[in-house]
Amino acid sequence: MLNKSEYFEPIDPDEKNDEFIAIESKSFFKDVCERFVKNKRAMIALVIFLIIALMAIFGPMISPYSYDGMDTAIMNQRPSAAHWFGTDRFGRDLFTRVLYGARISLMVGIVTAAINTIIGVIYGGIAGYVGGRVDMWMMRLTDILYSIPELLYIILIMLIFGSNVRSIIIGVCVAGWISMARMVRSQIITLKEQEFALAAFVLGANSRRILFKHLIVNSLGTIIVTVTLMIPQAIFMEAFLSFVGVGISAPMASLGTLAQDARTYLEIFPYQMLFPVAAICVTIFSLNFIGEGLNSALNPKGKR
Amino acid sequence: MTENVKENTPIIRVKELEKYFLAKRGYIHMSQYVKAVDGISLDVMEGETVGLVGESGCGKSTLGRTIMKIYEPTGGEIFYRGQNITKLSNKKMHNLRKSMQMIFQDPYASLNPRFTIGDIIEEPMVIHNMYTKAERKEKVYELLELVGLKPDHIRRYPHEFSGGQRQRVGIARTLALNPDFIVCDEPISALDVSIQAQIINLLEKIQDEQGISYLFIAHDLGMVKHISHKIGVMYLGHLVEFGDADEVYNHPLHPYTEALMSAAPIPDPKLARESKRIMLKGEIPSPLDMPTGCPFASRCPRCREECLAGPPIMVNVGDRKVACFDYL
Amino acid sequence: MKLLEIKNLTTEFKTGQGIVKAVRNVNYSLEKGEILGIVGESGSGKSVGMLSLMGLLADNGRIVSGSIIFDGEEISPISEKYKNNKKAYEKRMQEIRGNDIGMIFQDPMTFLNPILKVGTQIEEQILRHTKCSKKEARERAIELMKKVGIPSPEKRIDQYPFQFSGGMRQRIIIAIALSCNPKLIIADEPTTALDVTVQSQILELLQQIAEETGTAIIMITHDLGVVATLCQKINIMYGGQIVEHGTTDEIFYNPKHPYTMGLLRSIGTHTNGERQSLIPIPGTPPDLLKLNSGCAFMPRCSKAMKICKDYMPCRTQFSEDQYCSCWEYCKDSADKIVQEQSAAVNG
Repeated sequence: MLNKSEYFEPIDPDEKNDEFIAIESKSFFKDVCERFVKNKRAMIALVIFLIIALMAIFGPMISPYSYDGMDTAIMNQRPSAAHWFGTDRFGRDLFTRVLYGARISLMVGIVTAAINTIIGVIYGGIAGYVGGRVDMWMMRLTDILYSIPELLYIILIMLIFGSNVRSIIIGVCVAGWISMARMVRSQIITLKEQEFALAAFVLGANSRRILFKHLIVNSLGTIIVTVTLMIPQAIFMEAFLSFVGVGISAPMASLGTLAQDARTYLEIFPYQMLFPVAAICVTIFSLNFIGEGLNSALNPKGKR
Repeated sequence: MTENVKENTPIIRVKELEKYFLAKRGYIHMSQYVKAVDGISLDVMEGETVGLVGESGCGKSTLGRTIMKIYEPTGGEIFYRGQNITKLSNKKMHNLRKSMQMIFQDPYASLNPRFTIGDIIEEPMVIHNMYTKAERKEKVYELLELVGLKPDHIRRYPHEFSGGQRQRVGIARTLALNPDFIVCDEPISALDVSIQAQIINLLEKIQDEQGISYLFIAHDLGMVKHISHKIGVMYLGHLVEFGDADEVYNHPLHPYTEALMSAAPIPDPKLARESKRIMLKGEIPSPLDMPTGCPFASRCPRCREECLAGPPIMVNVGDRKVACFDYL
Repeated sequence: MKLLEIKNLTTEFKTGQGIVKAVRNVNYSLEKGEILGIVGESGSGKSVGMLSLMGLLADNGRIVSGSIIFDGEEISPISEKYKNNKKAYEKRMQEIRGNDIGMIFQDPMTFLNPILKVGTQIEEQILRHTKCSKKEARERAIELMKKVGIPSPEKRIDQYPFQFSGGMRQRIIIAIALSCNPKLIIADEPTTALDVTVQSQILELLQQIAEETGTAIIMITHDLGVVATLCQKINIMYGGQIVEHGTTDEIFYNPKHPYTMGLLRSIGTHTNGERQSLIPIPGTPPDLLKLNSGCAFMPRCSKAMKICKDYMPCRTQFSEDQYCSCWEYCKDSADKIVQEQSAAVNG
C-alpha cells in the first residue's frame, strides 16, 4: 500500500518497466498446439484416431485369431463374446480381419501421404520459387498428369505389378502429389514477395536457405493440414479400388475388400458389411476433423 | 559540384539507372513497360544520409531495391566505392552484401515469424560464416543492447513485439554484418508517431558512431528533413530535384517539390492557417502511357509549351540539381 | 443543444487472451458545425470509440456502459429503449447511418462495390433516403460529384471504382456521405492511404464542406499536421481514454498532459532553421490486456510518480474547453481520489 507521503515521489524506473512484453513467449507451434487442444471436436477425433491406430497396429498381435485362419465350424456367426464382430463365410474372425484391414488402409494412407508430401513440397517449392518459364513448364506437366483419368493408370499399374499394396500406393501417388505441389507453389509465390524473404536475400542467403528455412517453414501449417486431409483421401481410394475388385486380393484384407466380400450376403448378414464400412467412416471422419481442427488452430480468426 | 572537383569517391554512385517492368507482353504490338526508374543519377557520400521523397508509384522503393540488386537493372550503372556492381551475379554480390544492407518498411512482414529474435539477428552472421558460435551469441547481445532491447528478448518471437521494437530487431539484424551503406525503405511509415522519433534517433546515433551512409526512402517529408543531409525528390521514375536538405525544404526550385512541401500538413495551427497550399490540378499520367515532355507537365502550374515537347535535363542551380525548363 | 454527447462510454472486446477494454470512460460532446479531431496511436481506442457510436462493433465487442445522445436522441444499445430490443436498435442505427451521419474510411474500396458503377452507388444512396425519380437522383449524383471536385462528372458517373485513383475514390465516398445532407461526418483516417498532395486536396474539400453546409466533422487521425490544419477542437486519446481535450491552439501551444507534450516534441517543429534532434517518447504503446489500474501513460511518462501506477488521476479543467487527466494537476485532491478508488476496488 502506498504511503500518503510517497504519493508524489518519482516512481522507480523498475516499476515503469516500459519495454515490457505482453504475452508469454510462445513459439508458433506451441501456440497452435494449445489452440488445438482447446478444440473439443478435434481432440475427440484425435483420441478416436489414436485408438484406431493403436488397435490396428497391436490388435492383430494380441488377437487369438489370425486374419486368414479358416474354420468351417463357425461360418457366418453373429457377433458374440468370442467373435466380437462375428465371422465371415469362411469362419474367419471378422474383428481380427477389420483390425488387419484397418492396418493396411492406414498404412496405404500414411505412406502415400508421406510420398506425396515429399514430392509435392519439393516440386511445388521449386516451381514457386524459381518462377517464370520453369514454373510454367512444371505446372503444365502437372496439368497433363492431372488430366489422365486416375482409374485408367491405377488399373494398368495393377496389371503390371499385381494386385497388392505396393501397386495401390504407386497408383495413388502418380498424381496424388499434384494437389500438394500446387498448394505449396501458391504459398511460396505469396511468401517470396514478403519482406522477410527479400531480407534474407539481401543478407546474402542462397536459394536453398531462403526456400527451406524461410519459405517452406512458413507454409508448414498449410502443408500439415493438407497432409491430414490427404490420408483419408488415400484410404478412401484404396477402399474404393478394393471394393470394385481391383485392389488388394484375398486372403489379405483391407477395409474395402472386407466390404466387397460382404456384399454377396448383404441381405442375410448385414453386420459383415456394417463393421468394415463403419471402420472406414470413423477413420475418415476422425482424420477430417483433425484436419479441420488443425486448420482453425493454424489460422485463428479471432486472434488479435 | 562537378565530378572532377569531388575529393573522395562516393560510397554509392548511381548513373542513369533504369528499371523497367514488363506490364504487357506484346506479340503483335510493342511490349509495354512501366518505367519505374527512368534514368536516375545520384551519389551518396561517406557518412551521409540522402533522403528520397516522392509519392506512391514514383519509383523510390524500386530505386532502393535496384541498388540492392533485388531487381536486375534494365539500364545504367551502379557503383559501390568505385566498383561497378551493375552486372555482378548473386554469387559475386555475396561478399558485398556485408557492406550494403537494407532496412524494410513493414516491421510485421520483414521478420520471419517462425524465428526467435536471437535467430533472426544471428542469421546474417551464419550466412556469412562469421565468428564462432559463442562469438555470434555475444554479438547478438551486443546488438540487442545497441538498439535498446533487452537480453531476455532473445528467445522471443517477433509477434510478441510492437512495431517499433520489431523495427529495432530489423536494424540489429542489418548491423550484424557491419555494413557501411544501408538503404532504409520507409522504415518509419508503418510506426506510431511517438515511435518514429525513436527509430530516427537510433539511426542517427548509429550513423554518428559507425559512420554509415543511408539512402533514406520516405513519403513523410517532416521526418526525412530531420535525418537527411541531402534530399532527392522523385516524380514518376524521374529525379526532379536534388540538393542540400534544408535548401530543398525551405527554397524548393522545382514546382513539384514546391507543391509537395506546401501540401505537407504543418503540425502548427497558426502556421497552417497562414500557409498557402499549392493545389495541384490535373491527373497523374498513367505510367504505361508517359507523356513525351516533362512528366510533371500535366499537373504543373508553370507548364509552358516547351515543357510538352521533350523531357527536361538535370541542370545545376548553385549547389543543387533541378530538372525543369524554368532553369534551363 | 449539442449535436452529440457521449457520456462514460466503455467498450470491451473478448479475445483469446482475455477481455480488452478498448475504450474506457470516454466523455465528450460536439456542437453543430464543429470540427473535432481525435488523435491517438494504434490501440488508443480512437476508432473503436467511433464504431461503438455507429453500432458497427465486431461480434466480439460490446458497449459495457455509457450513453450516446445524438441530436437529442439516445442511441446507445444499452439504453432503456434498446436494451431488450436489438432489432429496433439495428433498424434505427441503419436510418441514422444513412440519413444523419456520413462515414469516410481509410480504405475507400471497403466501402465501394467494385462491380457497380460509381453513379449507381451514389444514386442508390440518394434513392434510399429521398423520394425522387431515378433521373433526379442521377442529376443530384452528378451535382454531388462536381461538388467534391471530380472533373467531368457527366462522363465519370458511368465508370467503375477501379477506374478512379485513390484520391478520386475517397471523393466518391465523400459524395456518398454527403448525399443525405448529414448532420455529422465521421472520417476515420481518411487521408492516411493517400499521397500528401492528394491529402491536402481532401482536407481542403472537407473544410469547404464544413463551411458551406454546417456539417460537423469528427476527424480520427494519428497525424498532428492534419488536425492542426482542419480541426477546431482536439481529443488526445491514450490507452482507451481521453487524456486531454482542448481547442487546437490550446493543445498545440499550451499542452498540459505529458503525453501531448511528448507527442509534439517527437515530431519536432517545422520552423525554418537548424536541424534539431527529435525527442521521442520512450517505450511502446500500451497493451490493453495488461493495463495497471492507474494512468495508462505512466510506463512511458518522464514525470511518473508513485501514485500514477495504481490510481487514476481526475480531470482538471484549465479553460472553458481544455482539460486534462494527469496527477500533476490534481495533487490537492489526491487523498479523496485515492480513498474513492480504493473503496471502489474493495467494495
